[in-house]
Amino acid sequence: MKVRRKQTIKRTDARRGTAGTPVEPSPKPNWPSNPIPKERYTSHDYMKREWEGMWTKVWLLGCRDDDIPNPGDHIVTEIGRESILLARQRDGSVRAFYNVCQHRGNLLVHGAHEPKEGAGDFRCRYHNWRYGLDGRFADIPDLETFPQGAPPCGGLIRLPCDRWGSFVWFSMNPDVEPLRDYLGVIPEHLDPYQFDRMALTEWKTVEWDCNWKASVDAFNESYHVQGIHPQLLYYLDDLDIQIDCLGKHSRYLIAFGVLSPRVISPSEIPPPIKSMMRDAGMDPASYEGSVYGAREAIQKYKRENGAEQGRDYSALNDDQLTDDYHYLIFPNITMNVHADDLMMFRQRPHPTDPNKMFFDYWIFKLKDREFDAAAYERPRHRQYRHGETSLGLVINQDAYNLPFVQQGMNSAGYSGLWIGDQELRIRHFHQTLESYLASAQEPAKKKVRT
Amino acid sequence: MDLGLRGKSVLITGATAGIGRRVADLFAEEGANVAICSRSPESVNRAVKEMKVIADGKIVGAPCNIKNKEEYESWIEAMAAELGGVDIFIPNVSAGGGADSEKNWWKNFEIDVLGTVRGVEAVLPHMEKRGGGAITMISTTAAVETFMVPQAYNAMKAALITYAKQLSQEHGSKGVRVNSVAPGPIYFDGGAWDMIKISNEKFYERTEKTHALGRLGTPEEVARCIVFLSSPAASWVTGVNFVVDGGYTKRVQF
Repeated sequence: MKVRRKQTIKRTDARRGTAGTPVEPSPKPNWPSNPIPKERYTSHDYMKREWEGMWTKVWLLGCRDDDIPNPGDHIVTEIGRESILLARQRDGSVRAFYNVCQHRGNLLVHGAHEPKEGAGDFRCRYHNWRYGLDGRFADIPDLETFPQGAPPCGGLIRLPCDRWGSFVWFSMNPDVEPLRDYLGVIPEHLDPYQFDRMALTEWKTVEWDCNWKASVDAFNESYHVQGIHPQLLYYLDDLDIQIDCLGKHSRYLIAFGVLSPRVISPSEIPPPIKSMMRDAGMDPASYEGSVYGAREAIQKYKRENGAEQGRDYSALNDDQLTDDYHYLIFPNITMNVHADDLMMFRQRPHPTDPNKMFFDYWIFKLKDREFDAAAYERPRHRQYRHGETSLGLVINQDAYNLPFVQQGMNSAGYSGLWIGDQELRIRHFHQTLESYLASAQEPAKKKVRT
Repeated sequence: MDLGLRGKSVLITGATAGIGRRVADLFAEEGANVAICSRSPESVNRAVKEMKVIADGKIVGAPCNIKNKEEYESWIEAMAAELGGVDIFIPNVSAGGGADSEKNWWKNFEIDVLGTVRGVEAVLPHMEKRGGGAITMISTTAAVETFMVPQAYNAMKAALITYAKQLSQEHGSKGVRVNSVAPGPIYFDGGAWDMIKISNEKFYERTEKTHALGRLGTPEEVARCIVFLSSPAASWVTGVNFVVDGGYTKRVQF
């Protein structure tokens, strides 16, 4: 039976030490509640504006730092119609290039999302043009037959590239602000988790039949839990959540290990909360308390036993030991951040079709005492079509539904997103997106005036 | 048909919610004196207060953790004293299901099995004093057919059926009848099947279809069988395991 109990989540009101994740709620914005036009999700024109005004202006996640640990290691990532080559340099830094040979336009390194080891240089397989690790021309066969000489660009076209949070970031905007400025408060919020202590355990890409923003939206609100994920009503509080808009980015904090106010307490501890106890190292059968004490009991257990399990929680507050700190790093990274794992999703636009996208799915797990470095096999990336692979029950539920959302958005009988308070992050996300598109149009306007 | 419960004294453990609560209510509605317990004093007080509204007989209750032998025995003695004896005993408390660890076996043994055994031993002298009585144990269809996962709950609830049968042979001569009731899946708000209905609707619907009668049972439907078996109206029934499941189990019970 669905109900609406009164429930207030007890939250920590202070960050842990001076370097802990800030917990202060941000002021609630007062924005107009007009619908968001559906054309942003369906039109080719908007897709084009998005590419020119946003995708080519922002910082984007390229790969994990440990995809390419050693000099010469490299990987290709794709965004829209672009292919980007990320290469570890001899000095340990990473450089990003458009992955295209300057001769006849062949993609230089074929095969995206496959970490490749230790090349001294890159050779285009079409005519053997060679590029150094730094992107500069190393050899052009029969150069003397080019009366005009080598292309004046001197090599591959380089892009801004930097690292943060165990990830490599790049931008297609040569004038982009420094990564740290772009990320704003994000490092201050997420550094306490120390993602570099986590090992990759799953890595997949699935092509979904929906606009990339439909996927971002699905992770930016908890309102759909009672619709799509009813089983989570016995795992989290989907109503008393803390939503914070953080400049371009945003987050919400969702308490895990509790009952939703929408259900009444079953006589036993619900299986998902038992599973959470087991993950913490507790024996659910030995837990004598009620379901309402489970979250705090798990926090206490982890605080007391974490060190012994090889899990250092010293930089995280108690809520972080159980709860979902969910962040959006604009535009396309949504991350469920937990003390023991990171579920990170990257939503990439399709090169040509606003009704399609690529959903990148990464799971990282904290290396604890049981982690066996010798036995650990880093998963290889796999790419699938919708429905060909399981991403776990919760994401499968989202994935199943999204193509229907996209189909509906294309209907003449639908005009736009009718957004409520629980979906505040969707409105915030659109405001950021629109401000990028607006500033991209400004120079054009000026030209008209002169 | 008169169940003959007016003025009878009934002890039920763990009767503040679910099937147990419905059993307690029915006894109260039938004019019996009823004693209940639960671990939480607030729950006991609330249930006693609510039951008094519908009762003709005396309604009493006190908090008790039946895991604690002394506490449990004192509860039985105190309730027997308040009601002036014991005619009917329903050991209803259960540790519930779970396949988490060995601890589940200890819990189901302590709560479901010892919670019944200790209660029976404490009430028998009271029944003998009265010249008879009725004990109805609560088992489950999970004891008689494979259900969900191998777990302590299923096996320990099965132990109660055997125990009830042997007790019925041993104490029949003293006028004490002993039976067990094995309910199938029962839906009530806040119950395990409520959670399953919300969390996994398809599984819930499949389970409904598995029942010959096409739905899950209600606490009321189980309670009526427990109350009947425990009442003087069932005076010629002893040593049976009464399956109350709307046709959920498929075996033939010869």
